[in-house]
Amino acid sequence: MLALIKLVQNIVGSLNSQGTPGQMAAGIALGSALGLTPLVNLHNLVVLAAGMLLNVSFPGVLLGWALFVPIGFAMDPLFHAIGRTLLIDTPALTPLWTAWFNTPVIPLTNFNNTIVLGSVIVWAVLYLPLFFALRWAITQYRERIYARLRRARVFRVVTASKLYNVYRLFRP
Amino acid sequence: MKIFRWKAIGTLAGAIALFVLMTWLFLDTIVRRGIEKAGELVVGAKVELASAHVRLGAGQLVLRGLQVANPRQPMENLLEASDMVAGVNPLPLLEKKLVIDSLIARGVRFDTPRQTSGALKKSGSTSSAIAHQVTAWAEQIRIPSFSLEGLGRAIELPPLNVDSLRTVQQARAIVQFADTARRGWEAELKAIDPRPKIDSGKALVERLRGINTRSLGVQDLARTVQTTKASLNAITGTLDRVRRLERSVDSGVARMRAGVGGLDDARRGDYGYALGLLKLPSLDAPDLSPALFGVRALDRMQAVLYWVRVAERYVPPGLAARFHEGPSRARMAGTTVAFPRERGWPQFLLRYAALELSLGGEGAAAGAYQARLTGLTTEPTIYGQPTRLVAQRTAGRIGPRDARLAGVLDHVRAPVRDSVAASVTGFALPSYDLPPLRARAGLGDGITQFTVLRHGGDIDARWLVRSTNVAWQRLADSGGAGASRDVDNLLWRIVNAVKDVEIETRLHGALDRPALSVRSNLGTEVARGLRKEIGAQVARAEQVARARVDSAVQGQVAAAQQRLGAVQNDVQARVAQQRAELDGVRKDLEARLREMTGGIPIPHLPFPH
Repeated sequence: MLALIKLVQNIVGSLNSQGTPGQMAAGIALGSALGLTPLVNLHNLVVLAAGMLLNVSFPGVLLGWALFVPIGFAMDPLFHAIGRTLLIDTPALTPLWTAWFNTPVIPLTNFNNTIVLGSVIVWAVLYLPLFFALRWAITQYRERIYARLRRARVFRVVTASKLYNVYRLFRP
Repeated sequence: MKIFRWKAIGTLAGAIALFVLMTWLFLDTIVRRGIEKAGELVVGAKVELASAHVRLGAGQLVLRGLQVANPRQPMENLLEASDMVAGVNPLPLLEKKLVIDSLIARGVRFDTPRQTSGALKKSGSTSSAIAHQVTAWAEQIRIPSFSLEGLGRAIELPPLNVDSLRTVQQARAIVQFADTARRGWEAELKAIDPRPKIDSGKALVERLRGINTRSLGVQDLARTVQTTKASLNAITGTLDRVRRLERSVDSGVARMRAGVGGLDDARRGDYGYALGLLKLPSLDAPDLSPALFGVRALDRMQAVLYWVRVAERYVPPGLAARFHEGPSRARMAGTTVAFPRERGWPQFLLRYAALELSLGGEGAAAGAYQARLTGLTTEPTIYGQPTRLVAQRTAGRIGPRDARLAGVLDHVRAPVRDSVAASVTGFALPSYDLPPLRARAGLGDGITQFTVLRHGGDIDARWLVRSTNVAWQRLADSGGAGASRDVDNLLWRIVNAVKDVEIETRLHGALDRPALSVRSNLGTEVARGLRKEIGAQVARAEQVARARVDSAVQGQVAAAQQRLGAVQNDVQARVAQQRAELDGVRKDLEARLREMTGGIPIPHLPFPH
């Protein structure tokens, strides 16, 4: 229950935070990597570190993660097909994969798994379109919907809770 | 606006420190699970470890209580090891590769009982697939039955179910393969369509013969050279495709030829099957030995075939990419690909292992052994040395005996060569129950020899048991009276006179479909004795059985032979002829090109059109 409340807080709070729509969009787009790609991989540690170090909305990163987990599951067959094409069916890339496979640290990313490679490639390709689309959507939301939403009782209850105060510590 | 949030560095460092701490705390568990999972993938049965302890500073891995279940007998362990200490090279770990410089294992025991089943819940691994293939092979081996119940009865063979005859099954498979493959080959030949290229190439050769290259200007000569090169390239490209097709056809024809050659063996098996329906054995010694020892022989050779195939799958030669199923997780596993490189680390390498083994039981090879294993790796081409295993007895429970094992797995390059030789001399051999003969053979002291030779796609495995001091014990007889009791007495008289017994089991031929043969002097003696007493009656029955089988299979056999002939004459010969023509044209063009250029490369010049 606590996790659910926290998630709602994250969603509502992040969307309405004082961070710019760009920071929020960048955070969600970055966090989508955690949802789209298999979580326990080295590249996600880098993504998480980037989410903390870069001046993007960290709640946005968490929101992106939560939103894109089901999408990641649903798109696994597509990721597998893309990964397979790149790893197995494109001989021209074999020398590159061979070099990476035999370079320290890189194999720890599991790039040689079709799902991991396919999902990372899809995420990298979608990052900028996703960023711009989200930035536009958040701007629209704040201008048109948020003004009405902030007057709602539920919203006031959520923002008044102690957890919200904790969340504000991480707000951009 | 600031790009970096510097104040988060502390938080990030804390998170990383927490991650490192958690990894360190759970490293032993992670390593234990990793070893268990990797082992289960290879073995195809449960692999369990009581504990694993990583000593990072010393680069050591200490494993205790290893149990590897037998995939073919899940209530038994293939092996157990009480303690293992491995010296691990840390650098390859950064590439997710495991290189063990040395391993010392103590308390290694084989074939120990398990408390719980060692079968895996999920049976989709490669090893399971291999087990299914081996089982499928074993199921198509027909062990002749040995029954004398039909003696004295009228010869009334029930109708034969044609589908149950192995000859028919094999012949149908040949026909089906021939039809499918032929369609594919002809479609490919049509797609390659070499005839126009052969004709144009021949025409160009003729034209070039009529040209005096010295009379040509530089530009004309260069143009002629370029035209010839273009034609040569086209011919070479087509030739490569035809050669690939030819290899495919040749291999298909060889497979069909082997199949047709094996129809005689299948038919002999069907004769035995038909005789079995009459409750009579074949009295040919080659048929009687499998009837007596076939089940046990098949069981042993199934294990051999399984492990040879596992070695083939997990220790392939060459540096081609290797595929296996990705890690199990809530999401799709995908496929994980390994890309070995000549000057790199193998994914797994055990340079040297010293093992202290013990074999349980009271007889045969029971006792203590020392074994030395070197160069066990998943990428022998990178390591460049074959895997070698030597084991020798250090202390035995029974008498001054000798037991040795030596094995070499040379998968450094294709064709792979495996050889294993084991010999156990002077041990008390186990007793053999022979229910068809209603007798037990106490083999006494004897010799057991076991060899496996594998070269490329062929295998020759031999299991020999020899005893010169057999003690026979009569089992409870059939309980019948009259003729049945006479048969029991006859069998007992025959076997009781045999004091030397030699049983040889061989598995030989193509690895994907090897033949199993069992030979024993006991089979010969029993056949001779029975032939003397009841030969005439069995011969009459055999005649009937053979005639029925022949009439049932001859149509399918003829069809298989006809398909083989047709493919040889129509497809193989045509492809070979076109390949030869293309080769001839290519050689002619190359010769003309050398004449024109004098061996000097002509650059590509832009020509006015």
